[in-house]
Amino acid sequence: MERKAKGLKLADILTTIVIAIVFGVIYKVWGPLYDMVKVFGFHADQLMYGMWFIASSLAYLLIRKPGVALLAETAASSGELIMGSQWGLEVLIYGFVQGLFAELVFAAFRYRRFDVFVVSLSAVGATAGSLIMDFYKGYIDALAPWNMALFLLARFIGAIVIAGAFAVSLAKALEKTGVTQMWRPASQDDYDALNR
Amino acid sequence: MKWEISHRETWLYEANPTLKLAVLVVLFLAVLLIHNPNVLINLSLALFLLFCFGTGYPANVLFWMFLPFFLIFFSSASSMMMFGEGTTTWFRWGLIHITAESFWRGLHLGFRALALGLLGLIFALTTRPVPLFYSLMQQLKLKPKYAYSFLAAVRLLPIMLEELQTIRHALKVRGVPRQGGLGKVKRYAIPLLSQSIRRAQRIAVAMEAKQFSGSGPRTFYYEIGFSKYDGWFVALFAAFLFAAYYVGIHYPYIPIRDVR
Repeated sequence: MERKAKGLKLADILTTIVIAIVFGVIYKVWGPLYDMVKVFGFHADQLMYGMWFIASSLAYLLIRKPGVALLAETAASSGELIMGSQWGLEVLIYGFVQGLFAELVFAAFRYRRFDVFVVSLSAVGATAGSLIMDFYKGYIDALAPWNMALFLLARFIGAIVIAGAFAVSLAKALEKTGVTQMWRPASQDDYDALNR
Repeated sequence: MKWEISHRETWLYEANPTLKLAVLVVLFLAVLLIHNPNVLINLSLALFLLFCFGTGYPANVLFWMFLPFFLIFFSSASSMMMFGEGTTTWFRWGLIHITAESFWRGLHLGFRALALGLLGLIFALTTRPVPLFYSLMQQLKLKPKYAYSFLAAVRLLPIMLEELQTIRHALKVRGVPRQGGLGKVKRYAIPLLSQSIRRAQRIAVAMEAKQFSGSGPRTFYYEIGFSKYDGWFVALFAAFLFAAYYVGIHYPYIPIRDVR
């Protein structure tokens, strides 16, 4: 019997979507928070933007399979939509594009690296995805140059801190709870312990 | 979470969810292509009225749901108004530079955000998750393993909220000092996520045993088709667009036709 199906198994999909829905709730409450910070001006809000990329980073770090990053980000944004996001359908399209760009970065490393560098790079990818959407939709190219530079800098830094470094620290803490044993039943440490 | 609030089900609930989503996509693209603020203001007004009288929720609930939209309206508009480029200066103070062009563009952006948000909220309020995913499986051929995973995950949400409350109480009882920012997120996220992941893995085993992952032909408990309400739904939004354009072009509020 051909049991080794290609692609994601139901367990992978379900877990990814559950993680995504948790972040969908966070994405939803992040919206009003972000708008409140936005009123202060000077793009302080952009530092928070990275939270909207974290589902793809975290799902990838935990499940470590192709397609998970894209699925997680799309699912999280559709969860946000179903809960009545203030951006409406836009979040679904943004989520898909952001997930796609994060996924491309992981694919570029052939799904073999799980360190801060690659995850941060995927956050940068997702940021690029979100910016492409913004340019298409928001007329941000009409901002004055100094303001534009500040905007971009804040968003990239926020993304690297939250969807990069913070996602890795979350994933490490979750590894310790043993929930990833389904995908990685034995680590190198375990084999070393046997050989001792 | 919204589906726990008591409300009346209007005919909008009866329209096919996939069709509603398709109409939403079309309107989304249409809104992006509107550059005349008069048309956009009319469309936003029409959507606002539908939100108030078409969703069947009580007024106080609608008010709280609409509150974030005020914020998004001002935040979308203000940044462009104060820092956007333009030639006709109205006001200048330090880095803040309001011009006629940036003001109208900002206003336009605010209404655009409002219209898009209202569209999404109307969809979210009048569409229940179960018919939505059954319809996506039947009309758009979404793979059942994705759709049922979504439904299972949505069902886990109330349990997660309960757990969140438990964690909050546990931290309080143990006198854990308050913490802000990402540290707080982490303190709640680790137990919540780990519990949810374990639960998801158990549910996945059960679902696999019951062949939810199968790819063969299958029947559905809920058959979602089309009805007269779908015709009404399309007609309603077509009328909105037409009226917005007609009134916007013939009876403009502001003398700007294109904000670009």
